[in-house]
Amino acid sequence: MSRYSAVIVLMVLSAGCTHAKKPEAQPQPSPVVAKPDAAKAPQTAKAAPPATTPSKAAPTTATPKAAAATPSKSPAKTPVKPATATNTAKTVPPPATKPNAATPPRPTAAAPTLDLTALEARLKQTKGIGVMTKLSLKNQVDDLLGEFRKHYAGKPVPTIAELRRSYDLLMMKVLSLLQDRDQQLASDILSSRERIWGLLADPKSFAALDA
Amino acid sequence: MTTRVVALASSFLVLGCLATTAAAQQDVEALKKDLTAVIALQGQPCGEVISATVLKQNDYAATCKDGNKYHVYENDKGRVVVDKQK
Repeated sequence: MSRYSAVIVLMVLSAGCTHAKKPEAQPQPSPVVAKPDAAKAPQTAKAAPPATTPSKAAPTTATPKAAAATPSKSPAKTPVKPATATNTAKTVPPPATKPNAATPPRPTAAAPTLDLTALEARLKQTKGIGVMTKLSLKNQVDDLLGEFRKHYAGKPVPTIAELRRSYDLLMMKVLSLLQDRDQQLASDILSSRERIWGLLADPKSFAALDA
Repeated sequence: MTTRVVALASSFLVLGCLATTAAAQQDVEALKKDLTAVIALQGQPCGEVISATVLKQNDYAATCKDGNKYHVYENDKGRVVVDKQK
C-alpha cells in the first residue's frame, strides 16, 4: 500500500515541477523593462545621426562583423597609454581596467550597420518572429521593392516621399515585431535604417541590389 | 524491487507526458502570436488570436479575441493571405 502512495507522491511532485515551468514562460512576453531600452535605443540613434556619419566613414565594411571586435580594440587602446607612461608606477593599471568595464556600451551603439542582404539573413535566422510573419514581411518588402522599381522606371505614381513613408512604415512594423523578442536585431536594424534607405534611394545602388 | 521499478517507470512516464504537453502548449502559444502578428501586418482587426487550428502546412484558421475569424494561408504565389470568415 505504501508503494502505491509513493507512486502517487512521485506523480504529484512531477506535476508540481511542470507547473513550475509555466511561470518561467510568462515572464518572457513581459519584458516591459526592456521596452525602455528599446525606446532608448531609438533616441540615441536619432539623437546621434551626426555621430553615425563619422562612424559610417570609418568602419564601412568592417563594422557589421566587427561588432564584437571593437570592444576588444578599445580596451586594448586604453591600456597602451598607461603601459607606456607607467613603466615606473605599476599601481596605475587598476584604474585603467575599470574604464574598460564602462566602455562596452559605446560599441553597441555604434557597431551595427546592416545592408539588405545582412538584414535578410538576420531576419531569416531570428526566432523572435514566426514563419508566417516572416513570409508576410517578405511579401511587404517585395512590394516595396516593386514600388521602387516603378519609381526608377520613370512612373510618377510613387514619389520618393511616398516611398520614404512606406519604408518608414515597414521599418516600424519590423521593429515593433522585434523590439520585445529580439532586441539586438531590433537595435541593429534601427541603427542601419538610414544606411538601408540610402541604398534604396540611390538608383545605382538599387540597380546593383536588384541585379 | 519490481514495485520500485514500476513506480519509477510510471513516474518517468508521467513526467514525459507532462513535458510533452508543456512543449505542445508552447508551440500553440507561438503559433497564436505568429498569427496575431500576421493579421495585424495585413491591417485586419483582431486584437489577439485566442485559438488557432492547423488546416495544412502554412494554412490556419484563427479566432480572435474580438470575435473575428480569419483564414490565414500562403497562396501558390508565396503570398500570405488573410481572409476574413463570416
